[in-house]
Amino acid sequence: MSNHRIPDAPGQLINRDVPLTFTWNGRRLRGYEGDTIVSALLANGITITGRSMKYHRPRGPLTADYWDPNTTVQVGDEPNVRASHRLLRDGMNVSAQNVWPSLRFDLKSANRLVGRFLTAGFYYKTFMKPAALWPLYARVLGTFAPGGVVDLDAPPPRNDKRYAHPDVVVAGGGPAGMAAALAAAQAGASVMLVEHEHQLGGHLCWGDDTDRAEAARLAHAVRAAGVEVLTDATVTGRYEDNWLAISQRGLPGIDERLIKARAGVLIVAAGTIERPYVFAGNDLPGVMTSGAVRRLITMYGVKPGNRAVVFTANPSGDAAVVALEAAGVTIAAVVDGRLGGNVVAAHGRNRVRRVTLADGRRIDSDLLITAVGWTTPTSLLNMSGDRPVYDPEAARFFPWCPPDNVLATGGLAGDGTTEQLVAHGEATGLLAAARAGVVRHRLQHLTRRAEPVTTPEPAWPADERPPLPHGSHPALFRSTTHGIVDYSEDVSSKDLVQAADEGFDSVELVKRFTTTTMGPSQGKLETVNTVAVLAEARGETIEQVGTTVWRPPYAPISLGALAGRIHEPVRMSSIQPWHEAHGAQPILAGQWIRPNHYGDPESEVRNTRNRVGIIDITPLGKLDLQGPDVPKLLNLLYTNSWNALPQGAVRYGLMCAEDGVVLDDGVTGRLGPEHYLMTTTSSGAATVWNWAENWLQTEHPDWQVHITPVTTGLTSINVAGPDSRQLLERLTNDIDLGPDAFQYMQVRTGTVAGVANCIVWRIGFTGELSYEVHVPSGFGLFVWEQLLVHGQDLGVAPFGLEAQRIMRLEKGHFIVGQDTDGLSKAPVTGLETLLKVEKDDWVGKPEVVWALSRGDGPRIVAVQPTDPTVVPEEAAQIVAAGTNQILGRITSSRFSPTLNRSVCLAQVHPDVATPGTTLTIVLANGTRTTAQVMEHHAHFDPEGSRLRG
Amino acid sequence: MADPVFRSSVTSAETTSAESTSAAAVTISDVSDWSKCSVKAGEGTETAKGFAVALGTAAQRNGVLVVHHRQHEWLLLGSAAQVDETIHNLDRDGFVSTVDLTHGRMMLRVSGPRSADVLAKVCSSNFDDAFTPNRAAWGATVARVTCDLVRDDQVGVRSYLLLCDRSYGDYFFQSLLDAADEFAD
Repeated sequence: MSNHRIPDAPGQLINRDVPLTFTWNGRRLRGYEGDTIVSALLANGITITGRSMKYHRPRGPLTADYWDPNTTVQVGDEPNVRASHRLLRDGMNVSAQNVWPSLRFDLKSANRLVGRFLTAGFYYKTFMKPAALWPLYARVLGTFAPGGVVDLDAPPPRNDKRYAHPDVVVAGGGPAGMAAALAAAQAGASVMLVEHEHQLGGHLCWGDDTDRAEAARLAHAVRAAGVEVLTDATVTGRYEDNWLAISQRGLPGIDERLIKARAGVLIVAAGTIERPYVFAGNDLPGVMTSGAVRRLITMYGVKPGNRAVVFTANPSGDAAVVALEAAGVTIAAVVDGRLGGNVVAAHGRNRVRRVTLADGRRIDSDLLITAVGWTTPTSLLNMSGDRPVYDPEAARFFPWCPPDNVLATGGLAGDGTTEQLVAHGEATGLLAAARAGVVRHRLQHLTRRAEPVTTPEPAWPADERPPLPHGSHPALFRSTTHGIVDYSEDVSSKDLVQAADEGFDSVELVKRFTTTTMGPSQGKLETVNTVAVLAEARGETIEQVGTTVWRPPYAPISLGALAGRIHEPVRMSSIQPWHEAHGAQPILAGQWIRPNHYGDPESEVRNTRNRVGIIDITPLGKLDLQGPDVPKLLNLLYTNSWNALPQGAVRYGLMCAEDGVVLDDGVTGRLGPEHYLMTTTSSGAATVWNWAENWLQTEHPDWQVHITPVTTGLTSINVAGPDSRQLLERLTNDIDLGPDAFQYMQVRTGTVAGVANCIVWRIGFTGELSYEVHVPSGFGLFVWEQLLVHGQDLGVAPFGLEAQRIMRLEKGHFIVGQDTDGLSKAPVTGLETLLKVEKDDWVGKPEVVWALSRGDGPRIVAVQPTDPTVVPEEAAQIVAAGTNQILGRITSSRFSPTLNRSVCLAQVHPDVATPGTTLTIVLANGTRTTAQVMEHHAHFDPEGSRLRG
Repeated sequence: MADPVFRSSVTSAETTSAESTSAAAVTISDVSDWSKCSVKAGEGTETAKGFAVALGTAAQRNGVLVVHHRQHEWLLLGSAAQVDETIHNLDRDGFVSTVDLTHGRMMLRVSGPRSADVLAKVCSSNFDDAFTPNRAAWGATVARVTCDLVRDDQVGVRSYLLLCDRSYGDYFFQSLLDAADEFAD
């Protein structure tokens, strides 16, 4: 095995005392703690780390940092890992992605042979016809999709979220960013410093001894000043009013965290990113940027090759020469771009073997290092609304006019020595702290619960920072040959020229047509080269072409991080633990977990019809209404009259929205002179509360009504069945349950099972003699248990939602939202007696009056299939006999154990709503059956003698 | 007949109303059995003047924590006897209503030096001392559940009371435990 480690030296981050073992495509290799996956691979002589997306060309490290487009690998069950950034761990199982059968002999590299047909946009032009073959195309093309393998059986990663409200967020932990954070913190601001590498320092980390000493000094001072330092973290997006999305990785036990930060001021100190050079063979393994080799040598002690050609146009390239020589790499040639030198091509099959220069020399080498200039990653400024401008003298973009609460510093804003960058950072930090102070003052003043501010608002500090100079740099983007521009998407400069020739004259169109800049590096390496190639093709300047707009995310973020922890609230009644302990089959109704049945719903129906059953109906919406004007409110919300509801009485009512559509229904009981309890449907509880408050607060603020939701303050139990009175009598002594003293549709308050302040009303959704008992919820389970204990000899048994639904259907009660829909105006219910058109006003009245006058709306009717064993599916269509003309639909259907036949409710056209009409129902299997419209909604006990008993 | 048994909505933990004296970075206690009563009255009424608690804040009044968390509404938290006494002594000069929310609202106390860090994982409120000082009261969404929050420091230790609908109790408690996991000693 090759060993490409150089001796230990200052600045190296690896710990040679802690060796680590890992595998690469099944081969067992060694590295050290502090290595990235890529530095460990290179130290082991591995130079090919992946294959390109489209042509499957061999690729090796290019930038050896976070943005490296050629080093995306699979680690265990985790796909798309940035190997140039991810730290090595003992036992890691690392493999190449998107290759078959192996990285070295990838059969998909045959694409290179047909590369001339796979030019930009080829998939927009091919696979068009015949359309019938699209599924086949999609399947075949899918096998070429890049990316790793998602193991669906692997345990999900743990992601979470956090909110933060720092005064200042600094994006970038280089010298200027650290200086800015330090100055802001020392000025009293709360500061969050975000650095996407694993350590602070930026380019100083791979500089000389002086650089590293300065990095260490600043890093220490930053922490000592109380700055919250996030490494391995990225500000991925800046949104309105400095709402920032920050992705943080590498936390103990957490794979990725999304921080949602609201910052007073954002400082963008993202530095610069070294730009690759475009020439033939520029994607061969062994072609690297100067920063890549400096990092590998200085930070990881890796010798990246043996013999190098260095193409340099700036001090970073010059420093790379020094670093390479110090690492024992032979410098075959130094080509100075500042003096007109140029590189034409790199040659080799699986890595660089020879380099051709513009002067005609052909030089054997296994490394070609380029140092041709910088890209300013202005993404966060773009997201803030800035439109950076191109400076041809410096050959890069600079910020133009970001908003007042976004400041730029460091290499992003200009050039200079470390001292100059630090000084600019300090000035920026001070300015940010001062501006954040104003923001804080305003917010604190506007927030009632905050500490009161006693000082006047400070003036908004002016930006008086002396600007950083713009250095001069030769404009080097593409050589005389064509090469790869977007390494992630396999887009070449030739593709871009072709796109321009085809008329894609806007850089935004070129981006979408060729997919350049759309890969994982999100344009950091590609955008400026794209613009430059396009400018050249169009004979324009870079300023004339302009750039694409950088939008979030700054760097890719996992979907898991966006999702965070799964916070799906669930609601449970106080009795739910009992249901679970007694084998209830749960059903999710909205957010509520409810018992659907306890094994045999039909048996539960029979027991309730013949003896006594109890059901937990806690989700029933309940609103406490108090005040002298409650009747006015009830008259407004309900369609019927509420003027003369006696104390102790309960009344049913229907509610309509303003369009006359049924909104909800329920009963309201009068508990005291000015005290009422309203029930709503379970799903309608919040809607009705908001709706009622809206009417009160916006239309009738003069009415004296207080509404308080008490849905779960009261555990609700329906005791139903012929023996329900007998059972309840055993548990009450201060409520007279006699049939004359406590009649149907009446309410009483008293003690049940020793629990005071219970509300009992006698109503019946099941059609049986029944009592709804509302118990203070802390005692809900206790009362439930007492009912079961004291009703044992009566055969009391719980019944679930399904049994309740069967019984209500037998009784013909409709359910809002089940038997009505978003178009069902009130007359559909057939409850004309409840639609009091003579009342002054109620919500929806004009629409309902109009619907009544038309008389052509659908009607809810009870339906019984001719064949009693057939249970039509809910939503089955009702059609005119012998045709497909739709006349309605089945809205509810069940087999009735009481009647031993199927029973339904349906919405039908009024022409077929007459009792005795024969309907034709289309079943789900396509067959047709017939059914008859019944005289009453109730299939069972239409006279109501049982519930009034 | 057996004596009634009060049960909290948090079934996954021991119910306790004891104030925590733990030195842990964060503790979560179920204090649902506190008496909780809502009082609604107009601002400027004698009832409001009697409380003398500014909107968005809370204050101790005769052993009862009076929380003015919404306009025209106060929440009284404390022992049943003290809350009852406060209700009994209300100066009802106009339209005033009271509703006992003891059984309808579950209440957790989150205490400790890292309590704000726990809440910051599930709530977007600003827990900075300047924005939510001791005795601040406000409404917010916590782990996607609508809550009332009161900062109620205990002997100088940062502490928050969180109230939400009782039916969310188990879910809510588990969500906070999950958020607190990284701060466990």
